[in-house]
Amino acid sequence: MNAITNLSPSISRRHFLGASGVLVLGASLPARKVLGQSSLATTFEPNLFLALDGDGGVHVTVHRSEMGQGIRTALAQVVADELEADWSRVEVVQAQGDAKYGDQNTDGSRSITLNYDRLRTAGATARLMLRQAAAKRWGVDVATVTATNHEVVHAGSGRRLGYGDLASEAASLPVPAKAPLKKNGEHRYIGKPVTHVDSGNIARGKGTFGADFSLPNMATAVVVRCPWLGGGVKSIANKPTDEPGLVAIETLYPAPSAGPVFTPLGGVAVVADDTWTAMRIAGGLDIEWTGSPTQSFDSDELRKSLRDAVASPGTAVPGSEKGDVDAVFAAGGTELSATYETPFLSHAPMEPPVAVADVSDGRCVVHAPLQDPQSARPMIAAQAGLSPDKVEVTPTLLGGAFGRKSKPDFALEAVELSKRLKRPVRVQWLREDDIRHDYFHAASAQYHRAVIDGEGHPTAWLQRSAFPSITTVFAAQAEQPAPWELEMGFSNLPYTVENQRMESAGIRPGVRVGWLRSVCNIFHAFSANVFADEMAAAVGRDPIEHRLSLIPESGKLKQPGQPAPPGHELDFARLRHVIERVRKLSDWDTPRPQGTGLGFAVHHSFRSYVATVLEATVTNGRPSVSNAYVVLDCGTYVNPDTCVAQMEGAVVFGLSLSLYGDIAMKDGAVVQSNFHDYPMLRIGETPATTVELVPAQGRLPAGVGEPGVPPVAPALSNALFAATGTRHRTLPIRA
Amino acid sequence: MALKLNVNGEAVAVDASGDTPLLWVLRDHLGLTGTKYGCGGGYCGACTVHVDGSATRSCQLPVSTLEGKAIQTIETLEERHPALVKTWIDNNVPQCGYCQSGQLMSAAALLDGNPAPTDGDIDAAMTGNICRCGTYVRIRAAIHEAAGQRAIGGADR
Repeated sequence: MNAITNLSPSISRRHFLGASGVLVLGASLPARKVLGQSSLATTFEPNLFLALDGDGGVHVTVHRSEMGQGIRTALAQVVADELEADWSRVEVVQAQGDAKYGDQNTDGSRSITLNYDRLRTAGATARLMLRQAAAKRWGVDVATVTATNHEVVHAGSGRRLGYGDLASEAASLPVPAKAPLKKNGEHRYIGKPVTHVDSGNIARGKGTFGADFSLPNMATAVVVRCPWLGGGVKSIANKPTDEPGLVAIETLYPAPSAGPVFTPLGGVAVVADDTWTAMRIAGGLDIEWTGSPTQSFDSDELRKSLRDAVASPGTAVPGSEKGDVDAVFAAGGTELSATYETPFLSHAPMEPPVAVADVSDGRCVVHAPLQDPQSARPMIAAQAGLSPDKVEVTPTLLGGAFGRKSKPDFALEAVELSKRLKRPVRVQWLREDDIRHDYFHAASAQYHRAVIDGEGHPTAWLQRSAFPSITTVFAAQAEQPAPWELEMGFSNLPYTVENQRMESAGIRPGVRVGWLRSVCNIFHAFSANVFADEMAAAVGRDPIEHRLSLIPESGKLKQPGQPAPPGHELDFARLRHVIERVRKLSDWDTPRPQGTGLGFAVHHSFRSYVATVLEATVTNGRPSVSNAYVVLDCGTYVNPDTCVAQMEGAVVFGLSLSLYGDIAMKDGAVVQSNFHDYPMLRIGETPATTVELVPAQGRLPAGVGEPGVPPVAPALSNALFAATGTRHRTLPIRA
Repeated sequence: MALKLNVNGEAVAVDASGDTPLLWVLRDHLGLTGTKYGCGGGYCGACTVHVDGSATRSCQLPVSTLEGKAIQTIETLEERHPALVKTWIDNNVPQCGYCQSGQLMSAAALLDGNPAPTDGDIDAAMTGNICRCGTYVRIRAAIHEAAGQRAIGGADR
């Protein structure tokens, strides 16, 4: 293994002696390689995720990518907890992309859900083997020895041995098929607010992100891409030849204008000795592009098509129909209907896409901020013209990703250039490239129509959703939203309605679409929560009181299509609980001053439950949010402080998209380019944020990174209605 | 062209064209990669460094204008602001961490000029630094905490 290691802050200044006798210093040396070259006798590696060396150092291999969600810390907490390791002796090793780890696709807020049990088992197995090794040495029954905080102790005799002293003997034992896991209440790190292992390096400017990794003789490339999808280079009017620092100007092939579009976009790569030279020359190129079918793409026209689509019947969601909606509508009564709209969004992680590749000596090495290094590996191999076993893909720290870096297109660009130029190449996307050439969050439209009774309960509810499906990126003929997209807050509406129908419509966009933090939940939670608020307002009921009356007291949601995995079904009691908690947390029932409104929204996504209340006013014509209250039930949590941080961040992410997020395309090209015309929420606009985490240790662990986002936009819209009486049904909200 | 710069208290000579922004001189020529590229337009603050003590966007500064000026980067911030760096870690401020060098440099410049900033002072001083992960509430808390520790423990530099 040749992974980069980052020592935890608590031991960042500790010099640890590798088993080979080589002193390994600091944060970014390939310590595991050093260990790998040594005699394995002193290194105990009972499984893929854990190694213990003779001096007691524990190396936990994390196979998921770190993008701010704290996963390198959380997974290490899980292993260290069951190992009964001393946290100050734990070092995190970043895994390369390799099928041996199982799923490495760090998306869908599922790293803990997928790995909690197996990593507990990894730690517990090692703990059992250390106990067995000590019992063997002492000639006592293993049942009489315990392992606690990096030591095995024989209570009867008071004898004790450190983990390091037992490493070589443990390594000689067979790995047991089963090992006992700890019980609730016995956890040392699970459920505890451990400081992130990378915080120390980051706060000292020493974290290694994509652009911070370098290789000897590396050149840097900036790529000028065609403004529209699928265009190629027709000519370069002013191609320079011998500028100082210029290495090469290379034409890259265009991606197809219609899926599958995981390949690079093509363009003109300016490769130079340093980034600025590449940027400067790239910025001055006068390139004529070839046309493509997407050259006339206009997002306003697409959005009109989406509005039109939801104004007429769409494709019924199989299994979603209950009762007879049409009969209730025909009978009349108090009817409400509304159309909601959301725009395209760009991910805009603070770190634009960047990758380093070295294709040489029949091998290819890539270091890049990738969410899924494993699925990138065969694509990189194909680009390099090598077999996957000749390819090493190591994730650096991801400077934000939010779904963008699940696609390896930027790494493939670096691979192609390194292959051609026969030297290491870093490809650096500029912010303009990032915003304009993204896999965009899809624009959407929803239509809701209901007949309500005197309590505001819908006796019939018709909902329609239309948006360009992410599947359009996978298949040239794809057009309709996929069931899994509709299950993000649309077909799994958790409210009691006797007569219900759900319809969807798709459209092929002229840009690449992709998943952005919480994906379709953003627009589905927005429309459903605002429409529910409209029902309550129509009968003058308190929105929370009204919402609770729509949700059964107990039981599980039977959603159309695929049932949720056992234990992850939407549980009505848990949904009600987060609503009741946020009512208390926000002091909901205490009236706010005139002009200040409270808005409520709740959403179940990524197996978690989140209820949010925002307190908002309109000041100088602009919405302003003073307080945010969030209650999260994510089942068993590993690091409560991380959960709180993710909810704090979700409020900011959600407010950015609620107030500012708007990407438009004209003539196939993205109009916006940088943070001046695609703004983000800033510190002065950030509300005081109070988060409550529901104690649910023992339940299945659920998602944390994404589920805080969906309730934010509807809570803001509802708060502004409460403050001003004006309904906002289109994002971003411009008061 | 060889340029003489003073970076983190050391005299260094750099062979770069004079129009090269300081950001790229730090990163590509001096290997000081703690300072980040975020936008190239002075909008996001990820590249913030101190020039003669002031928080400055290094992506906007041609290196030719910097001879004779004291440039300080995140790499030596802890020597001058140990309490600030410590509270940043203790409060688990960073999420992805990419913007945090710039956030810390802006926060340090704020505390240098204003040892007891209010929320309003913090918002004004930090408004040029975008955090896409949304760590702002912890940034505020950490700055207040560092200011408090400096008040108790005396000068933090």
